[in-house]
Parts: sequence; structure tokens; C-alpha cells
Amino acid sequence: MKLKRPEARPPTETIIALIDVIFFLLIFFMLVGRMDATAPFQVLPPVAGVGAPMPKGGTTVSLSADGQLALDGVEFDRAEVISRVAEAPGAMVRVNADAAAELRRLLPLIAQLEDLPGKEVVLVVTPEPL
Amino acid sequence: MKLARSARSGAFVPLTPLVDVMLILLVFFMVTSTYLNLDMIPVGSEGEEAAEAKAGIGTGGAASETLLLRIDPAGRAVLRGQALDEFELEERLAALPNARVLVLPSGFAPTQALVGVMEAAARAGVADTQIVRVEARP
Repeated sequence: MKLKRPEARPPTETIIALIDVIFFLLIFFMLVGRMDATAPFQVLPPVAGVGAPMPKGGTTVSLSADGQLALDGVEFDRAEVISRVAEAPGAMVRVNADAAAELRRLLPLIAQLEDLPGKEVVLVVTPEPL
Repeated sequence: MKLARSARSGAFVPLTPLVDVMLILLVFFMVTSTYLNLDMIPVGSEGEEAAEAKAGIGTGGAASETLLLRIDPAGRAVLRGQALDEFELEERLAALPNARVLVLPSGFAPTQALVGVMEAAARAGVADTQIVRVEARP
């Protein structure tokens, strides 16, 4: 008499370990990635090897290559940016200008920001190109 | 007679959709994250250094030369009528570490050109670099 062998069950995959790994990766990228929307347009800051570490806090004024302005991720015109920065708490003002932005747009902006009382203006640079 | 109920096993939670969502989120963050290491250059206005420099001139301190460095619309640094690249500029400025450098950039020069000049000046050990801006008379 031949006995019928029970069908071998497929081995259960250990999905839990996979989920753990994916979850850790997810948390990692969420923490490492800069989620602050500094500009609604692309800004590639100029390259300089002599920059100091970026301080935290404050407001970020972004200037695109074609002269668009944004304050903390929202696009405004220059007068609006200046008045909003003046009212913003914190002394730090980061000017995140594109490397290709023309100085006739950047320098008047910096001059106006510096004229605001109690504000410290810094120019954002990157030590290595993207 | 009482029949003992079999213990209910826990509800089965399908994990596959959860893994799918997590994977999509993971790919999203991997793709959207930009790994840009950001530094800053302080842009001080007429601060203490400028005041000190003025005082130094007033009291007849160390004789310092003032250099006018122009940046042309193409972004090249021009010193005494001679266009210099970054290394030549650094070399020239390193020979005059006590000089005050006034940078007069063209309005059409890119930001990178100004930052490049500031970097060269900083590497050359120039302590006093100022940016001059020509403003239209109202």
C-alpha cells in the first residue's frame, strides 16, 4: 500500500524582518532629508570651501537664477519679503541665492536686509557642487 | 454538558499592503531628498571690522593698500586691468595680506563669481574685504 505524502507547505516568509528594515530606512531618510521647503523653485547655492557651519533657526530668503524671490518656501515680491523678514522673530536671515543669480538682484536685496534692525544676514554656500 | 469553545486565534492582519505602502514611502524619500551640505558666509555690513579699519587709517596705523577688484559681467575678476583666474587672484592677494580689498562687481555677474572672489580673498589671508555697490541716484 502506498501512503500519500502530505503536500509540503511553502515556507512562511519572514516578512516582519523585511518590514523592520524598510521601516528603519524610511525613518533614516525622513530624518536625513531636508524637508524644509526653502523655495518653490530650484536653487543651487554657490560653491565655496571657506564657509562656516550653517546656524539653525531664522528665516530663509531664496533667490532663483532668474530673480524670483521666496521667503521660507512662499513666493513674494521684494517689498513683501523685506517687510515679512522685518516682522519675523529671530535674528538670522539666510540668503539662499542661486549660483547663477545676477548680482544686481542679490546685492540690493542683501543691502535692504542688512538695513533691518537686529538682523544678521548670511549667504548660503555649499562646500561641494551637487 | 458544556462544550469548551476553542480559543479564538488573533485576527489575521495582512502585512503585504503595509509593506507596499512603506516601500513606496521609502522610494519617495530616497528620490526627493537632496543631500546638499550647506555652509554659510556671514555678510556683515559696516560692523566692527570696518570701524577698526577706519580707526587704523585715522591713527596712521599700519600702512595698508586699498585694491579695487572688479568683477566683469562674465564673472572674471579684474585687478588693475588684468583679468585673473581664481588661483592667480589668490596669489596676487596673498602678496598683499594687509591690503583692503574693495570688490566692485558688475550687476550682471553671477553670484558664484562674487563668492569665488571672496573665497580667494579669504584663502589669501585678506582680513578686510568689502563689496562696493553702485546705486542709482534717486
